[in-house]
Amino acid sequence: MHLKTAWNSMRRSPFQAMSAVFVLTLTFFVITILCILLYSSQQVIKEFETRPQIIAFLKSDAKEDAIASLQQKLVSDERIKQVKYVTKDDALKIYKDATKENPLLSELVSPSIFPASLEISLKDISFASDVIDQVKTDGSVEDVGFTASLKGQSGLGDVVQKLRNVSWYIRVGGSALAIFLAFTSFVVLIVIIGMRITTRRGEIEILKLLGATSGFIRNPILLEALMYAIFGTLLGWVFAVLLVLYASPSLLLYFKDIPILPKETLKLFGLLGLILGGELIVGIVLALLGSSIAVGRARKR
Amino acid sequence: MLKVNNVSKSFGNIVALEDISFDVDPGEFVFLTGPSGSGKTTLLRLILRELLPDTGEIYLEDQDITQLRLREVPALRQQIGTVFQDFKILNERTVRENVEVALAVIGLDKNEWRDRVDHVANLVGLSNRVDLFPSQLSGGELQRVSLARALVVNPKIILADEPTGNLDWETSERIMQLFEKINQEGKTILMATHNQNIIDTMKKRVIEVKHGKVTKV
Repeated sequence: MHLKTAWNSMRRSPFQAMSAVFVLTLTFFVITILCILLYSSQQVIKEFETRPQIIAFLKSDAKEDAIASLQQKLVSDERIKQVKYVTKDDALKIYKDATKENPLLSELVSPSIFPASLEISLKDISFASDVIDQVKTDGSVEDVGFTASLKGQSGLGDVVQKLRNVSWYIRVGGSALAIFLAFTSFVVLIVIIGMRITTRRGEIEILKLLGATSGFIRNPILLEALMYAIFGTLLGWVFAVLLVLYASPSLLLYFKDIPILPKETLKLFGLLGLILGGELIVGIVLALLGSSIAVGRARKR
Repeated sequence: MLKVNNVSKSFGNIVALEDISFDVDPGEFVFLTGPSGSGKTTLLRLILRELLPDTGEIYLEDQDITQLRLREVPALRQQIGTVFQDFKILNERTVRENVEVALAVIGLDKNEWRDRVDHVANLVGLSNRVDLFPSQLSGGELQRVSLARALVVNPKIILADEPTGNLDWETSERIMQLFEKINQEGKTILMATHNQNIIDTMKKRVIEVKHGKVTKV
């Protein structure tokens, strides 16, 4: 009965219903895209963080026990996630793998020109500068290189700053945009539900005289708001997913090894399902709050 | 059935009802009459708990409805059938749906709706009109829908506020015959009207209200 009443109410004023649904669609379209961007940016940052950012090239005469001691010291450092020892032979193998399509390059080098090294991964890239300074002072270390780079910017400060900027823009800017759009949807819901209540004022008066409880009168209004929220959320999500699926081959090709989206279909739809679930909760909360406020305002009039 | 005890009600400086008392027995058909503005509608609104009296009590059976909490009011109204001069019909719903609304409000099992609606539609002579919309009905038929809606919940009492006020004489007479038939089946009716012709024709007990006071019981 309540569902039928809510549905009929939507059918009677289709343009009001459409405006509510479309505003919610736009909001959840943007939120879905932002969520995916946030996931992808986290993946990019994670990729940089898990790659060895610092390589300490060891002196050719460095003793094994000195190397082991340095490695142990670094492993116990709380700023460092992982330390990997690369011997001269390992370095040659890496070089050969990298140049296997051009065997001549492999033949021209001798194993002795590749120094042994320690590849260091940091827990946070902001520790890089301090760790580099510290490693440089060790007697076994010949030189220190910083491998993280982004689009040609090799300076440590630039890389860290750029990663932080990207992350900040997505998190803060995206959150601000999402909150603004969600608030707009919220206000639109209050206005439209308020208009519906005004339209139904006569009907509500009759229902009260017949002995309808507050719940009986309120439930179709809440259901109507919930329908707007569910339709709007689903449409926004579907449009965003279609866009992501359309763009993902090009994006994956551009970012190559960085898994900005899950490559397995099940995991990808798991992520998208998680986003949809979260959005439905937000949509339902918006609808319930908006319609409750609209009902409260109507009662006061 | 209904007992009104020393009820007074004012709106600011205007005294709408002053020390009103009367009883209505079960199965009785009582007219509440008086000129416009005499307080008839205010009295009905007090019985429906749309308003609270300033003083006095109103008992429906043994329950003092002036003492009810706000959340208990819907249950009171579900026991009272109401018929109004302006019908108060939902225009976007068919006759059947208008009557069903009252059953939905009392929470009756949906499986019982059809039989109950068919029964009252037959009683008020609307069996062949149940699928029509209000815009397709005459004034008399709309009042029958209103009466059917009031009856379908099997109320303890029917309150009618000028039910013939918007109808021509011939239609009014037929509606009154319908009320008479319902009363003969045992329903208690309290009807506010200032139509003297109807009161004279029906020969029922009359409570007269003038300037907020009962002048004849």
